[in-house]
Amino acid sequence: MVPLNYFLILAAILFCLGVIGFVMKRNLITMFMSIELMLNSVNLTFVAFSRHINVLSGQIFVFFVMVIAAAEAAVGLAIIVAFYRNRESLNVDEVDRMKL
Amino acid sequence: MEFIDSHILTILILMPVAGAMFLALLDPGKHEAIRRTALVVALLTFVFSLHLVIHFVPHEAGFQFEENSPWVPAFGMNYHLGIDGISLWLVLLTTFLTSVSVLASWKGIEKRVKEFFIFILLLEAGMVGVFASLDLFLFYVFWEVMLVPMYFLIGIWGHGRRIYAAVKFIIYTAVGSAFMLVAILSLYFLNAHATGAPTFDFTTILDNIVNGRLVIEPRIQVWLFLAFFLSFAIKVPLFPLHTWLPDAHTEAPTAGSVLLAGVLLKMGTYGLLRFNIQLFPDATQTFTPLIVALAIIGIIYGALVAMVQPDLKRLVAYSSVSHLGFVVLGIFVFNIQGVEGAVYQMLNHGISTGALFLIVGMIYERRHTREISEFGGLATPMPVLATIFLIITLSSIGLPLLNGFVGEFLILVGTFGAAVARAKLYCTLAASGVILGAVYMLWMYQRVIFGEVTHDVNKTLPDLSAREKWVLVPMVVMALWMGIYPQFFLRKMDASVSKLLNAPRVMMVRK
Amino acid sequence: MTLPQVPILPILPELILTLFGIAVMLFDPFTAKPHKSWLSSLAFIGVLAALAGNVLLLAAEGEYYNGMIIVDSFSVFFNFLFLIIAGLSILASRQYLVREGVNHSEYYGLLLFATVGMCFMGGANELIMIFIGLEITSISTYVLAGFRRTDLKSNEAAIKYFLLGSFATAFLLYGIALMYGATHTTHLSQISSALLTGRIDLRLVLAGTALMMVGFSFKVATAPFQIWTPDVYEGAPIPVTGWMSVGPKAAGFAAFLRVFFVALPALDQKWFWVLWVSSVLTMTIGNTAAMLQSNIKRMLAYSSIAHAGYILVAFAALTPNGIASIMFYLLAYSVMNLGAFAVISAWSLSGERRVTIDEFAGLGYRQPWLAAAFTVFLLGLTGIPLTAGFTGKFFMFRAAINSKLYWLTIIALLNSAASLYYYLRPTIAMYMREPGESGRTSAPQDSAPLQISMATKVVIAVSVLAVFYLGLFPSTILDFAQSSAFLVH
Repeated sequence: MVPLNYFLILAAILFCLGVIGFVMKRNLITMFMSIELMLNSVNLTFVAFSRHINVLSGQIFVFFVMVIAAAEAAVGLAIIVAFYRNRESLNVDEVDRMKL
Repeated sequence: MEFIDSHILTILILMPVAGAMFLALLDPGKHEAIRRTALVVALLTFVFSLHLVIHFVPHEAGFQFEENSPWVPAFGMNYHLGIDGISLWLVLLTTFLTSVSVLASWKGIEKRVKEFFIFILLLEAGMVGVFASLDLFLFYVFWEVMLVPMYFLIGIWGHGRRIYAAVKFIIYTAVGSAFMLVAILSLYFLNAHATGAPTFDFTTILDNIVNGRLVIEPRIQVWLFLAFFLSFAIKVPLFPLHTWLPDAHTEAPTAGSVLLAGVLLKMGTYGLLRFNIQLFPDATQTFTPLIVALAIIGIIYGALVAMVQPDLKRLVAYSSVSHLGFVVLGIFVFNIQGVEGAVYQMLNHGISTGALFLIVGMIYERRHTREISEFGGLATPMPVLATIFLIITLSSIGLPLLNGFVGEFLILVGTFGAAVARAKLYCTLAASGVILGAVYMLWMYQRVIFGEVTHDVNKTLPDLSAREKWVLVPMVVMALWMGIYPQFFLRKMDASVSKLLNAPRVMMVRK
Repeated sequence: MTLPQVPILPILPELILTLFGIAVMLFDPFTAKPHKSWLSSLAFIGVLAALAGNVLLLAAEGEYYNGMIIVDSFSVFFNFLFLIIAGLSILASRQYLVREGVNHSEYYGLLLFATVGMCFMGGANELIMIFIGLEITSISTYVLAGFRRTDLKSNEAAIKYFLLGSFATAFLLYGIALMYGATHTTHLSQISSALLTGRIDLRLVLAGTALMMVGFSFKVATAPFQIWTPDVYEGAPIPVTGWMSVGPKAAGFAAFLRVFFVALPALDQKWFWVLWVSSVLTMTIGNTAAMLQSNIKRMLAYSSIAHAGYILVAFAALTPNGIASIMFYLLAYSVMNLGAFAVISAWSLSGERRVTIDEFAGLGYRQPWLAAAFTVFLLGLTGIPLTAGFTGKFFMFRAAINSKLYWLTIIALLNSAASLYYYLRPTIAMYMREPGESGRTSAPQDSAPLQISMATKVVIAVSVLAVFYLGLFPSTILDFAQSSAFLVH
């Protein structure tokens, strides 16, 4: 059996990739995808733990997370579309009407 | 009558508030009605405060007219009011000066009349509350809340750099009180841990200290003392924390200056007397030399700076720094003459400096300038003003038979006999302050009033109107009364001052 | 197979709100445009009904649904708070939405759904439940922030809030996952007892705690995770900004408090210093930046950061008194801030113009009562006595001093004194300057008489009364908060 740590480390790497993608990428859709990647790495963590300690609850949590991620995606994409209509751009650097 | 007897202090606080609320409902355009209402409310409050004088029992040292009911019982906060022989006169001074200020603002305030009188009345409520509170939390509440009306008075109706002065005033004071709040809370918990009964009640905490139930380590006392001291010293203002004062005084409207100098500054000295000395005797002992030195520096510095001011109002403002130095000196010599002199000087300063600001205000209303060099020879067009101005100037200098003399004399006697090292040196230095005071006041008077009329505009200045006489005559009467028959005032404060000085812990400071 | 009996009472307020929220959205297509306002009345009735339902909860204390939901006076207090916020926000939004031409009833539906999420956060006894409540709130709020969808600033607010908000949620969720892995449970009290056994991987727990803290810090906007706040608050529609600055923030604190005090008391020395430092940073950054702002929404955004910092001061006290004072303060802050935003919304012109501080010039004499109310709110936010802001701050600092946090309290009080500088700026503009004195020429419609709807007036009046009530007679609310704080601790 694959040890628990493998899953956890993989999940951690995926999460970090998500964070890096969020910080480095300038395209709104890509940033959004990075967040999805982070959420999925969390799902992986949940499932791995759930399997490891032989309790089902962790796998049920994943369903909750997936449902919520879907809702978030719907709303998030709608917001991005609204922005695109007004600005005709998906570049985050152009989200700049307000400055410190 | 029964009700009035037992709630007189609440009445004194709420009456101006109710008056302000009533004013808020009036039509802003009806200036005359608004002024009259404000005057009636102020006078009525003053009349009610006379009740205190009449029914005050002179030999009783404790607090009288007490009211005490729980406010936030969970945390031991009480609505506890009461006055002794010291605060009695300060409350009277407040109600008296407020009435005078209202009358003095009849003509000078032409815009936002309604709001002006609302703020004056709210300010009065706050000031009475500060002097009457016997609960540390309640004291803090009044202490902070009356900053607001004063801020608006300076900021809206002031002159020149009024906004700068108003903001500087409020932030300076608020920073000081931030430390006081921490000290109040720390004291509260020290008391709660020592006695098991959490309370903000000043008299209870004081009792615990006097009876030794609450012993505060000297190291902690130092911190608490400093925290209270900072906020009071800013208010006094004690050198070198006085920099807000000239700005605030100069830019404030006349009534604002009168109340600022007449009453607000006294809160600082009152706080030192009421809280610092009694609550933290050990720390008081540590800091006395320093504070006496600061007071004397203040006396001389204030006088010297006043001497070179080209602006009448600024001159009077700096003279306050000097006079209040006397008050602080009197408090920190710890004998009955010194402290009584200090309290008396607080009242004197309220009357004399208040009257000076009124006179400057009246001159300003006529000429719209306060530069001394713009005047000269005002005695010719305005003989009545010149006479009253002379009496007030002399009272401020401390001429015998006028009020200033009694206070300064008592303070000097007290300093001379004080049980501190180099008392005689201090006394001499302070006395030199008196002489400097005479110099700058008389010189100012001479430049403004005597000689030829140097500016043609000044030739046709009208003399005092009937209303202005009504404003100034009571001040002159008070100056004479307090100068000729001080016993009337001192008798009522004797017992309270002796009690304050004879508390076992304070005795130790006196050695 | 029979379905188990499911009690509905423990989530009665949430259910009522959901039903009314759905009803509002369903009735929308059948309502002609001029009559849309009745839908906001319907939403308001829903809030009142939920308030009534919340009263019933008082008699139903206990844990429900396998311990996922807890009903105690802590959750009931927060339900009250969220419902009051929702009710005032609905009233405060009516005139604004019509004026800006975005009077769509989804607005009210979303507001109610967000409130459902907030109530779940207050009553959650389990990490996943908190996550769900948080997401229900956040997703609704993302939309509300961008509700003026043809306006670029509003779009931008929505995008920024959405991206950074979901980013933070991912951290929170990862923290929950690690905590689950370490303690094998997500129930708060079981986590606590698992931690006490000492047979768990502390590294996982600490990493989980840190990640959750990041998530919560984002939601309540404390340093160093406050960066999104100013832009989002400035861009969102005025009533939404007012609502966001109190509602989701209070919900975030409710969950934050419950998680840390119920589940993680064993680690309190570990997160104490984090709170301490974060508190100092939050207050100082908030206040300093607020001084530099010219837009009033942005100024209040920074000030709301500063207020979160004050709340952390009481948090760091780690005592029941500290929790109680936070609860009291959240209520006090909510009424003051909602009132202030109602005034801003009443004074601003369509298209969100006239929202700079200088443009308040002359308000004091054109609308004396409006200006007086605004002054009361600003003084309350500063913490001047006799207002709710003072008693609230006083209780929080009292708790901090009780835990001997002298320096932290002094820093907080100095911050508070410094905040006078910017809170007084609108009063300077309103009372001490004449209109146009700042060099702006005012357009003709700017001097048109102000129409303030009844609903807005009610919001302002209720807020003023509440500010004074909490400032003068804090005992009732305080005692209630104290009794519930002891339960949590």
